[in-house]
Parts: sequence; C-alpha cells; structure tokens
Amino acid sequence: MPNTYGNRTLTEWLTLVLGVVIILVGLFFVIGGADLAMLGGSVYYVLCGILLVASGVFMVMGRTLGAFLYLGALGYTWIWSLWEVGLSPVDLLPRDFGPTLLGILVALTIPVLRRMETRRTLRGAV
Amino acid sequence: MRRSHLLATAACATLACAPLVANAQFAPAGSGGSPTSTVPGPGNGNSFEPTENAPSATSRFSGPSPYAPQAPGVNAANLPDIGSMDPNEVPQMAPQQSASPASGDWAAYGHDDSQMRYSPLSEITPQNADQLKVAFVYHTGSYPRPGQVNKWAAETTPIKVGDGLYMCSAQNDIMKLDPATGKEIWRHNINEKYESIPYTAACKGVTYFTSSQVPEGQPCHNRILEGTLDMRLIAVDAATGNLCEGFGNGGQVNLMQGLGESVPGFVSMTTPPPIVNGVAVVNHEVLDGQRRWAPSGVIRGYDAESGKFLWAWDVNRPDDHSQPTGNNHYSRGTPNSWAAMTGDNALGLVYVPTGNSASDYYSALRSEAENKVSSAVVALDVKTGAPRWVFQTVHKDVWDYDIGSQATLMDMPGPDGQPVPALIMPTKRGQTFVLDRRDGKPILPVEERPAPSPGVIPGDPRSPTQPWSTGFPALRVPDLKETDMWGMSPLDQLFCRIKFRRANYTGEFTPPSVDKPWIEYPGYNGGSDWGSMSYDPQSGILIANWNITPMYDQLVTRKKADQLGLMPIDDPNYKPGGGGAEGNGAMDGTPYGIVVTPFWDQYTGMMCNRPPYGMITAIDMKHGQKVLWQHPLGTARANGPWGLPTGLPWEIGTPNNGGSVVTAGGLVFIGAATDNQIRAIDEHTGKVVWSAVLPGGGQANPMTYEANGHQYVAIMAGGHHFMMTPVSDQLVVYALPDHKG
Repeated sequence: MPNTYGNRTLTEWLTLVLGVVIILVGLFFVIGGADLAMLGGSVYYVLCGILLVASGVFMVMGRTLGAFLYLGALGYTWIWSLWEVGLSPVDLLPRDFGPTLLGILVALTIPVLRRMETRRTLRGAV
Repeated sequence: MRRSHLLATAACATLACAPLVANAQFAPAGSGGSPTSTVPGPGNGNSFEPTENAPSATSRFSGPSPYAPQAPGVNAANLPDIGSMDPNEVPQMAPQQSASPASGDWAAYGHDDSQMRYSPLSEITPQNADQLKVAFVYHTGSYPRPGQVNKWAAETTPIKVGDGLYMCSAQNDIMKLDPATGKEIWRHNINEKYESIPYTAACKGVTYFTSSQVPEGQPCHNRILEGTLDMRLIAVDAATGNLCEGFGNGGQVNLMQGLGESVPGFVSMTTPPPIVNGVAVVNHEVLDGQRRWAPSGVIRGYDAESGKFLWAWDVNRPDDHSQPTGNNHYSRGTPNSWAAMTGDNALGLVYVPTGNSASDYYSALRSEAENKVSSAVVALDVKTGAPRWVFQTVHKDVWDYDIGSQATLMDMPGPDGQPVPALIMPTKRGQTFVLDRRDGKPILPVEERPAPSPGVIPGDPRSPTQPWSTGFPALRVPDLKETDMWGMSPLDQLFCRIKFRRANYTGEFTPPSVDKPWIEYPGYNGGSDWGSMSYDPQSGILIANWNITPMYDQLVTRKKADQLGLMPIDDPNYKPGGGGAEGNGAMDGTPYGIVVTPFWDQYTGMMCNRPPYGMITAIDMKHGQKVLWQHPLGTARANGPWGLPTGLPWEIGTPNNGGSVVTAGGLVFIGAATDNQIRAIDEHTGKVVWSAVLPGGGQANPMTYEANGHQYVAIMAGGHHFMMTPVSDQLVVYALPDHKG
C-alpha cells in the first residue's frame, strides 16, 4: 500500500488518530478486563476490548469495517449496561456516556473511511 | 499476571491513564515472611501486659514502657499540679442557663443540656428563608500561616447566652461577640503553639457555667470553660474574658497531669466539657494509629468552681479513681473519647461516647476491661467516676468505628405510655441506638448478628457477633458490589472494579488482612460522625446526615511500615503530615502498621463507589421510626475529578462533616457537605428552600439565636483539611434582610 499514507486529508488524519485512540482504549479493556475476569469479575471488558482493538486496527487500515465494529461494540455496551444496572442514569453514565460520544465521532468517520476504501479500490483497479 | 501487568504498564503509559498495577495499596506483603513469629499468641489476647518480644525491634524509636514511671508530658503553661478534692464536697450547683435557656439563647454546644440542637425560634420559616442575607462576618484569626501544614478544621459552634455570643478559634482563643453586630466585646488569647495541633485544629465550643460560690455581680460568677488542644482546662469571666483566679492555678488546670510521657499534638481536647452537678467532665482525643502504649484515654472530673481534681475513670484501674502521684500515670493505651459528651443532672450521669484502645486496627494487646468499653456509650456516675452502665456499639473494634457523635437526650414513649428517659446514640456504622438512660438497656430492639469471624490475623480473633439496631432505619446503603463501581468513563470504572475485586470484602466487619487490602464500609467517616443529630421534640422529627464513604485498608508488617516511613508522633524522625490519625499509622508496639485511604481512584481523586456519598434523612420518632424523607446532601458544584469544581447544581450527595439545627420555624439548617454551602431545608418535606455559598467549608454545626428581637443563623465556615474544603477563619451569620447588624 505505497500510497495509503500519502496525500491524506485532515479528516483522514483525524480518523487515523481516532483509530489509535480506540486501539489504546481497547488494549486497556483487554488487559484490565482479563485481570478483572480472572479475579472473578465481569467479562464484559475483555470481550469488548477485543472488539475495540479490532475496530481500531481496521480504522487505522482505512477500512469501514472498523467503524462498524466500534458501533457493534457500542451496541454490546448498551445492552450489557442496561442488563447490569437497568435504566438508572447515574449508573449508565460511566458505562455509556464516553463510549457513545466516541461512537458519534466514529459514525462521522464512516464517509471518510468509505472514501479511503473507494480510493484504494480504484488504485487496485488501475 | 506478571506479563499482563507489564503490558498494562506499557498500555497505560501511552494512555496516560492509571497503571493497573497500582491497584493494591502496594505489593503484597507476603514476601516479607509470615508475621506469625512476631504475633503474641492467643493466650496473650486478654492481657494488656506488653510481651517481652513486643515486636518493635526493627522500629527506630521505642516508646516509653507502659509501666515504668514517666516524666509528665509537656505542660503548656507551666502550671503547678492541681490538688484533689473529695467529690462529696462539690458545692450544690446553681441553676444553669443550659438547663433551660431563654428562648432566644443557645446555651450549650447542642443548644441545651439535652443536646437536641433544637431551637424554639420561628421567625425564619420555609416561606421567608429564601430572603436570608449575611448579617455579619467575624474573623477568628486562626488559619494556617505560610509554611504550616494545613491541619485546620475549626468545627466551632458558638453559644449564645444573654448579651453575648461566645466562641473559640480553631486554636482556642476565646471570644465574646455582640450577637447583633458581631463586634468583638473581648478576646482572650491563650497563645497556643502550632506544634500543639494534633490531627486537626478544632475547637467545637465552650461551656457556660454559673457559679454558686461567686456572688452575682462579681467576676467569674458567670464563666466560660474551655478545653484546649494543648491540654489545659481554662475558665474565664464571661463579662470580661479575664482568667478566673479562683479556678485551678490562676484560671487554668494542666490536663497533662498524670498522663505520663507525651509530645504536643499527641493528646488534645476539642470538645466543650459538660458540667454535671458541678462536675466539669473532661475527655480528650489521643491521636490514632501512633503506638499501642499511647497516653491514657482517661476521663476525669474536676470541680467547676475550683478546678480541683475529683475523680478519674481509668479503664485498667477500675477501682482507683484517684490521680496518680509523682511520675506514676494513668494506664496507657486505653480507649479515648474525643466526641462531645452529654451530661444528665437528674440522673447524675455523664454519657461518654468512647473510641478505641490505641492502635485501632489490631486488638490482640487489649485488656478485657478495654474490650468491654471501647466504641461504646459509657454512663459514668459524676459523684465517683465509676461506670453505671455500658452499651457497646462494636465488639473488639478494629475498624476505627469510634463514636464521633454526641448523644442526644429525649423522651421515648414507654410501654405503659409513660415517657422513658432515652438517649439517641448515632454511630459511624449508621446504626443508631436508642437506649434507656437509666440503665443503658435498648428501647428499640438490638440484635446480636453473626459477623465475619475469626478473621485472618493470628492471635487476634474477631467477635463472632456484632450489635444491630433493628428498630431504627439503617443510615447506610447495602453492602457494596462490583457493579456499584463508578467513574467518569468505563476506564476508571474498570480500574475501580479491579480494585474492588483485589480486596477482601465480605460486607460490614470484613476482618483486617495483611496479604491484601480490605474494604471497610461503612467507613471511619460514618455513617454519622461528630455532627451528631438534631431532634425536634414538638414534631418528633429526628434529622440525621450521614456518609457513604468506604475505606481501603491494609495492615502492613512492621518491616513494611518502616519502609513506608510510618512513625509514631513521638518518634524524633516523625514528619508532620506524614501519617497521622485518619490515615496511615505506625501502630508501634504491635506487629503491624496500618495503611488507610478512601476507596477511591487515586489518579482522579473520585470515590470508587457510585454516588451519593452523603445523605440527609428525617425520621419520625413518634410514629415507629419511619423515614419521612431522605435525599442526597450536597451538590457537585465544588467537587469533581482531580479536585476540580464542576459548578454543577446536581445534588450528587457529597461526604459531609458537621451536623444540623432544627427550629420551631420548621427548618433544618445545615452546612456539612463539601459543596461549601449552607442550606435551609423544610423539616417536613425535605425541600431545600434556601442555600448560600460560604467563604470556606461549612464543616461545623450551625446554631441559631435571637438578638434584638430577631433570629440569626450562624455557621463557622472553617473548612476541613481532610474533607479538602477551603479553610477560612470566618463565622458567617445570616438574618432576614431588615435585621442586618
């Protein structure tokens, strides 16, 4: 992919940064979550962490799949948190507020990722 | 796990987040070898004799032997010893203001002898409270100067008798103010040294006493008594502020007499001494966590007229009520009492809320006698100093559940319809005990329920049962669960979930452990702490504010304690602020030191458990102790991650310290929360009808009084170092607008 990182637009750079952030959050989830699961705690974090790392890696690679994986992880997070604490706003706050904010940013990257994919396809076709 | 820790560290470094490896208080102490070899055997559990191999070999400084005669501790004003007097010769007490205050007065710490914190004033009501404005502000002049560690938390409640508002500064200067204007009428400086400040520079209040020996119109007919941080009992004339020459030695008594070796700040008085049938009863705080053989927690009675010694209650010398002579001293390491005591003239008793024997978290070296009276209400006969009854709220306490609250006296309906003289004893556990004050028997049911036992510390088994007040609403939330962990994001929530799982926790009374931390909930800040409760005898409504602040504790081996630099206050290498009470402690003379922190995310400064962290509850004492209303106390405006104020009006419920006032006007006044506000709450609905931002933390009990025919509300906005609220030296007094001073 000699040209993947050439001529990037600002939005593409931001998408890349977002991908890296998601990888780091994912790593924190995987490592901390594995620790927690081994201590007998919730397995949500390690599972979600794997999704997040995958999501971030695909986003960094410029693949739309990354964004959809994140949105999938977000859906998983909402379902899990509603299962764990019900409709209590105070308890949903730490579980869903940050991930949802991040999810909005991720959703905004979908057109960017699409463009990157299209460009790559075009290049591949040449 | 090692590998994942390494990864975690790497990941965290990039994330700039909290390293997960730091979840434990520190690395497990297991590598330091089993402490068994240095723990006294079970057979020693009942003995208060220090053993030959009392395991302090590795510490740098050994405290004085608890039995050898000792030079007396620092005598702040170089006072000669005070003589003794036969308690039977105490003159008949004159009628006291605190027995039945004038309706506009606030004659004792908790308003009157009942300590109900109830005022019959009714000018300020839920309808007009929103018009309250500052009438005046008074500066006490006591606050940390440059270079001084902030140990301030004035916690002061003025009293008001007749034409004077009497109060003390955080460092015990005594003042009389004009109650309508705040103008200083006199001020008596006692020149207390900074070094004398123990854990906290606090002076909760002063005591007003009318002499039966000095005729009216002469100096010291009415006098103000105060106990000080540097262990003096001082009496000044209420009219002039001059020392009462006929009291003690020129107006002062050295309370270090008989305490043996000590250093400034080790023992101190922070509460107003109650005067019961002419006997001024004195307790004192002994700094927590220093050493097993800390100075004695002895309770003493002095003649309020002459200052002469009457009796001592020394737990380990139960039959000897005299003061020690020469370099002999009261038994060391016995439970201390630092809460405000309550007097009962009719029964001739003083109700002493006790704390723990020295070294809060290790009990194997305590005597049977100590075990019977720690963390209890002890009713002492003021004629003799002998206990008439004892009610224990925690058996063999190793959680620092010393009682901080003052008992409130009231009448409970008895079985035959006749009122029973009762006392309400709030505790840090959030269990509130209602006792018959004639014999200490519970009026509301108390059950002994199984508790985690024997625990894991060799030779120091926990009590198999603990008392629960089943007829009174528990001022606590259910035991913590992993899902109660909170945070700003899933990241810090995950951190707290791991921290939760890494600790031992089996609910309340989880026994102490060395190999890993344990979670202590309720924490040592309560439940109910020193703010106590207020009770409206007309409506029967009891107001209680309380905390939900778990702690994260761990015992450490002596070796580890030395590595952590935990040293007792009398060690020459002791660093002020480097481990005092309410935190890490050396517990010298025991096999362990103690590490205590709030159960929080130490990187964001946010508590690990979900909010609320503080609550206020109204309980109907006339109709089956039903909860009338209950809601979080304190907004997020001055609190947030990394100690940053969020400015949010969200009533999140903050930790709180300091109590409430309830008035016939139907209002509850309370500061206490860490949002630095004072508020007026409708007693019947719980609705906050007024609030105002204070110049410092409102960690003090407010009071209310009348002057020139108008009602005032006063609160010391002194702040609190441990609660991390801003310190100020300002007493702020509010009134309705037409009545500005």
